[in-house]
Amino acid sequence: MPRILLRWAPCRHAARCRGLATAAAVERSLDAIARDNARLNAVASARAREDASAPGPSGSAGPLEGWPVAVKANIATTWGATSCASRALEDYRSPFAATAVEALERAGAAVVAKTNMDEFGMGSKNTFGIYGPAHNPHRAAGGGDLHSPGGSSGGSAAAVAAGLCRAALGSDTGGSVRLPAAWCGVVGFKPTYGRVSRRGLVAYGSSLDAVGVLAQTVDDAGAVYRAMAVPDPRDMTCMSPALRRRIAALVADTRPGMEHLGADRPLAGLRIGVPREAWVDELSAAALDAWRAGAARLAALGCEVVAVSLPHTRHALPAYYTLALAEASSNLARYDGVRYGSRSASRAPPPARPANASLKYAATRGEGLGAEVQRRILLGTYVMSEAACRHFYRPSQRIRRLVQQDFDAVFALPNALHAPDMAPQPSDGRRAGVDAILLPTATDTAPRQGRAGEEDLVASYVNDVMTVSANLAGIPAIAVPAGRTSGMPLGLQLAAQYGDDDLLLQIARHLHQ
Amino acid sequence: MHFLGRIRVGALAQRGRAFSQIAVPAQEYRAAIGLELHVQLQAREKLFSAASANWDDKPNTNVWAVDAGLPGALPRLNPECVALAARAVLALDGQVQRRSAFDRKHYFYADQPLGYQITQQQHPIGRGGFLELGPGDGLAHTRRVRIRQLQLEQDTAKSIHGVDPEYVLVDLNRAGVALVEIVSEPDVDTAGEAVAYVRKMQALLRHTGVSKCNMEEGSLRCDVNVSVYRAGADRLSGTRCELKNLNSLRAIQGAVNAEIARQVALVGRGEAVAQETRGYNASAGETFLMRSKEAAPDYRYMPEPDVPELRISDDWIARVRSGLPETPEAALARVAAQYGLARETVLTLLGEPGCLAFFEEVARGCSARLVASWITSEVFGQLAYRAQRLAESPLTAGQLAGILDALQRDAVTPAQAKQLLIAFMDGETRTVDALVAAHGWEVISDDAQLRRLADQLLDAHPKEVAGYLVKGQARRLNFFVGKLMQATKGQAKPQVASQIVKDALDARRDRLA
Repeated sequence: MPRILLRWAPCRHAARCRGLATAAAVERSLDAIARDNARLNAVASARAREDASAPGPSGSAGPLEGWPVAVKANIATTWGATSCASRALEDYRSPFAATAVEALERAGAAVVAKTNMDEFGMGSKNTFGIYGPAHNPHRAAGGGDLHSPGGSSGGSAAAVAAGLCRAALGSDTGGSVRLPAAWCGVVGFKPTYGRVSRRGLVAYGSSLDAVGVLAQTVDDAGAVYRAMAVPDPRDMTCMSPALRRRIAALVADTRPGMEHLGADRPLAGLRIGVPREAWVDELSAAALDAWRAGAARLAALGCEVVAVSLPHTRHALPAYYTLALAEASSNLARYDGVRYGSRSASRAPPPARPANASLKYAATRGEGLGAEVQRRILLGTYVMSEAACRHFYRPSQRIRRLVQQDFDAVFALPNALHAPDMAPQPSDGRRAGVDAILLPTATDTAPRQGRAGEEDLVASYVNDVMTVSANLAGIPAIAVPAGRTSGMPLGLQLAAQYGDDDLLLQIARHLHQ
Repeated sequence: MHFLGRIRVGALAQRGRAFSQIAVPAQEYRAAIGLELHVQLQAREKLFSAASANWDDKPNTNVWAVDAGLPGALPRLNPECVALAARAVLALDGQVQRRSAFDRKHYFYADQPLGYQITQQQHPIGRGGFLELGPGDGLAHTRRVRIRQLQLEQDTAKSIHGVDPEYVLVDLNRAGVALVEIVSEPDVDTAGEAVAYVRKMQALLRHTGVSKCNMEEGSLRCDVNVSVYRAGADRLSGTRCELKNLNSLRAIQGAVNAEIARQVALVGRGEAVAQETRGYNASAGETFLMRSKEAAPDYRYMPEPDVPELRISDDWIARVRSGLPETPEAALARVAAQYGLARETVLTLLGEPGCLAFFEEVARGCSARLVASWITSEVFGQLAYRAQRLAESPLTAGQLAGILDALQRDAVTPAQAKQLLIAFMDGETRTVDALVAAHGWEVISDDAQLRRLADQLLDAHPKEVAGYLVKGQARRLNFFVGKLMQATKGQAKPQVASQIVKDALDARRDRLA
């Protein structure tokens, strides 16, 4: 598979040959899509050539000049359908572009395609959706069946892994960027909640959703992230400039002088925690080996590697599913076919009375939303109901807080949202806590592509066990490739304190090299 | 028509029977009444979008992405609405909460684009406060009605039935317009008190610029909770029913009385009152079942993840407080004493938002009584004719002061003054003096000229002269005064004209004799 290893060479004379470079890169990307997408089904819709290479809004050379970039089908663009891989929005065209997309274009990137995904982000194998399953570009040694690229941002991961584009945007509600990144052997970065505006990202679980980046290198992922990580007053949950300043001040306070790291031991002075709770029964031998090797590599780079405990991790998965599904049932209530989207053609009587209107809604939603989405909406509706709220929703909110406090207890950097104002640090030079934690991204490599209906649903939810805690706590996490076993990629995951995105990227860069 | 008439008579007969079956005299029962007022804020933009809040513009023109519930759209809280809500809280002597939060209240309806309403259930912006009712409000006693909470929430869109036989039309202009819901404690005893409470709330919220509080256009909507209890028993021992959509003072009066009668009749027969939501049929004078407790929807309240907790500083509250006008009570007492006006006159001024300040500005240079009578008769008459509010009229206090000044120094006649007023309310921008000059108006103070005109008129109408002089028909005097005013185009002072006509007629009588 040499094509998979194709890297995007940096254009040294970008400023001089900008227009040409962009056009050529876009051309190359669209050619690759035309050639390979039938096999991968990673791209839901590619952009017309003349639109894709049209000069962007930026007047001067931006940091992403000439980058062909794909975005997940649940991120709004003013061209093509923002379908979320759902029948309900199959032909839906957004009147506005997501803030993240605007930022990419301002930085010079050319958005070339919308990528395949699980419907509304609900799934971890990219099998649920109107475009059908996306496929992993990697084949197991000895050939055989196709593998899943992971989900829900499976199309974005497969597109980047196969070199169809230089980077892609995904969305990460419980691991939907990191899991497919690991399974496709690319970098997948979920920034701190609120670093990147969610405006234009179609909501699944609003308090968990983050726009994330998939790329072949940490540097590429970082460049895309930096273009997007700006305040947006149109999203009230996007970090304000004041909060960003407060985080920067806390970082400078906690790690004075950390920006000058030595070349031979570039991560000297950093402490990496290895959480005991990530050592679960389901973890495969290969994933465990990769984890050990990753810890050894970080130690060789100068890190002090210590064991840490995140005691509430075992409650994170059920709490995550309760909260994500509750929010999903609420966020997806708007797809009633009244104002836009598909509407059932069934000859239900006109909705003159509420009872009849309910029938119309039921028919519209029954036809427009897929089985997995309906399952999750029903579960989410149940856990929010008056009778069940006490047993599911509210305890899950408490668990969420406990999970976040677990992280606050292990990280050296105080949490900017919860720390008292600038608590003075102990000045004896010995910092308590770790700077990042290292854990597997998935319990194993990508599974073979099953047929829809053959899924073991509970087992598929368990895929998220390594990733959901970061979403519950809103902290940044990144998946980096960590070798292969039997031809299939493995990934490692790093996570850091709320707002510590830059450090996380720095560590990930060295771990990946 | 006949059919309707028969139903009404039948209904009355039925009610009569119900009363005759009451075992316990109805006087032994008391009612406990609480009110929920939904008040549209007078903000320029909607609660969570920058679309204009003018919901009566052309249908579906004031709609932003979030108002239509488009995928990826996010709400953004409008500070103007928060300030108006805080104003209402302070005007009611309540406490503005330092921390409040928004919730989602879920239900499917065509006029609910998001599938939920963003409201404040758990943590409202205002708690406490009261409205004091007394003799000034038409009660023989005083009654303090405590406020439980005041919450910010979104208005719904408007469903329009019956225009199209096959469809219900939806106008999204009103979707997302800011409301406050003001919930009272069940401190009200009678329908009369309930009406007085609503009246007083209207006056207070208009006076403070919070809302137009117009029940006809729906900027004030009212639900009432009613329960009855045996005199001497616990005030809240009865089961309450909620009366929905009482959208006039008359409906409140009628519905509350009907509901008290219905519940007393039930309890008197030894039957239980069921907790339910009821409507009011004004023509039958009866409340009717809308839905029982069992059919009550489960709103699945959930914290709104797109809008962070609202934190309000003491400084901000102090600023809102300093911008609050004096209370209507204080203003009433002060203005009545300071200007020597009747209470009723001041109440009339207070009824029109902004009018008191307008009055005081004009009254600086003119007789207060003259100003008050001109505002309450001429200005209000013109406003009613134009279906305008004072605040919308181009008329300025300076212009009215100019008119009245000219009138007081006999520079114009009352008829001319009225013409000037109409011109200013039509948007005239020239000064009073300029207009008087332009019209060639001047009060004819030359009595000889008037006498000459009067004699000509008398010569021209011998029959009328005879009627006055011979038959003693006093009304003939007014006929000639009218003719004289006509002949001078209103430039004579009416009193002078009257005197001159009388003198001229008397002179003829002398001649006859």
